[in-house]
Amino acid sequence: MRKNRRAKYFFIFPAIIWVLAFTIFPLIYSLGLSFFRVRLGRPAQFVGLNNFARIFSDYKVGNSLKVTLLYVAITVSIQLILGTLIALLFNQEMRGKNIFRALLILPIFCTPVAVGYLGLTIFYEEGGPINSILMSLFNLKIPWLSSRIWAWVAVLLLDIWQWTPFCFLVILAGLQSLPEEIYDAAYIDSSSEWEIFRKITFPMIQPVIMVVLLLRLIESFKIFDVVYSLTGGGPGTATEVYSLYTYRTGMKFFDLGYASALGYLLLAIVIVIINLLFRQIREVYE
Amino acid sequence: MGVVRKKSLSGTIIRYALVAIIVFWAVFLIYWGVVTSIKPPAETFTVTGLSVPFLQFQPTLENWRTELSTRESRSALLNSIIVAVSATLIALALGVPAGYALARFEFRRMKNRDLTIWFLSQRVLPPVVVLIPFFLIMRTLHLLDTVWALVLVNATFVLPFAVVIMRQTFQDLPAELEEAAEVDGCSDFMSFWRISLPLAIPTLVAVAAICVAFTWNEFLFALSLTTLRAKTFPVYLAGAEDTRGVQFWFIATRAILALAPPTVLALFIQRYIVRGLTFGAVKG
Repeated sequence: MRKNRRAKYFFIFPAIIWVLAFTIFPLIYSLGLSFFRVRLGRPAQFVGLNNFARIFSDYKVGNSLKVTLLYVAITVSIQLILGTLIALLFNQEMRGKNIFRALLILPIFCTPVAVGYLGLTIFYEEGGPINSILMSLFNLKIPWLSSRIWAWVAVLLLDIWQWTPFCFLVILAGLQSLPEEIYDAAYIDSSSEWEIFRKITFPMIQPVIMVVLLLRLIESFKIFDVVYSLTGGGPGTATEVYSLYTYRTGMKFFDLGYASALGYLLLAIVIVIINLLFRQIREVYE
Repeated sequence: MGVVRKKSLSGTIIRYALVAIIVFWAVFLIYWGVVTSIKPPAETFTVTGLSVPFLQFQPTLENWRTELSTRESRSALLNSIIVAVSATLIALALGVPAGYALARFEFRRMKNRDLTIWFLSQRVLPPVVVLIPFFLIMRTLHLLDTVWALVLVNATFVLPFAVVIMRQTFQDLPAELEEAAEVDGCSDFMSFWRISLPLAIPTLVAVAAICVAFTWNEFLFALSLTTLRAKTFPVYLAGAEDTRGVQFWFIATRAILALAPPTVLALFIQRYIVRGLTFGAVKG
């Protein structure tokens, strides 16, 4: 590590200035806006804390918060559990493993909006592939996009489809970095796979699982694309996630001050949750 | 893992069956999109089950031909490419030197680790929080409905990837090489440019691919900051449903066209995906 070099500032300042200009400044600007009533083409009007007060009387905020938090909790836990199970399955000698692994990577990088629209074709109620299979097997027809609860399930399923492979991939990398010698000893002492997982494997990959949990939490709160394209927040407001409601408030009704206040509430929630896990982040990045 | 355990035949069969189900589940959505895009429109809803091409219907490239000859579609593709490449170049130009500085020099007022976390924390921010200010800023600068607004926004969003991953890459390179060069009178810039950077090229390419993929996939800002001329492909795709109703063959063709570039890129950088997407926290 070299010290006291003027050069270091030339290396790092452009990036710092960029972030100050395009992240920190907009954040401060947004905070300012949240104290005003802003409509395009009219002078902004100072309203103090009115926008924040409005949040508490707006039932749609409560609804979108509930939808988002439930979505985050359910998808992230299912993704972690499924991802771990699939990683354990793949963490063995297997023919064609690299090809299977490559195929499992595909969903991660798919354009989320495209995933939503493809979802529209597979969840199609009259003869889409899922319903036509369910029809022939169980004589069952699920109202995927017209029922409040099933529309919600469809969104969850797409998200789980897209992000379980990410959890799988990272956890598998964690598993493969474990030293093999421990297992040789473990198999002498115990023959129960479950016990070995619980007492040896899990504690050792726990840091990796923490990283995955953290990254998924951060990304999940941003959900917008899939909902926008698959259900548009409907039916009614059944799948109207927080970002979608904020987007509509700002970009459809041009209630810019209120939308800024809404954004800040989301930021506050995310920061509180991340802070609960912050010690672990610091440890990971030494 | 090489732990040799005796496996029963039935165990092996169950294992492969599970793997088959998982792989089927992982590729089904993409498979369905591809199949729908090569079905003759008239057969979109009549062919049942898995719709295996050639067995159940005669595939056609008609939908693709129509799609690729549409002017709107081409211009959206072009916009997407311009935005993705420009944003990535900016992110690399800013982020690679910053990552190098964080790996090689000691910062005192704010420690290296804290600076790294500061860059990293940009990814925590839900984009919708800065949507309104960005909209107003771009409006003031008369950049609404231009690709440059999207370039600025996306470069900002992917910058943390470049900084944090490159920092780790430079840290992993042996410092002795540069120290030797320094003895020979090499300046800090020269040793960065001539020694460290060439050694970091493989990761640099992977970071570039990740930045391109994330920019390509970005939707919220592309939707809000463009109206007509600067539409990226995902925004164009989102317009498809309103204009054409339940014409699934168009939706499928466009969706596959949208997701193909980032997905194919990902296949080329497989070795780096884990490290890249976890910001170096887990080494793949």
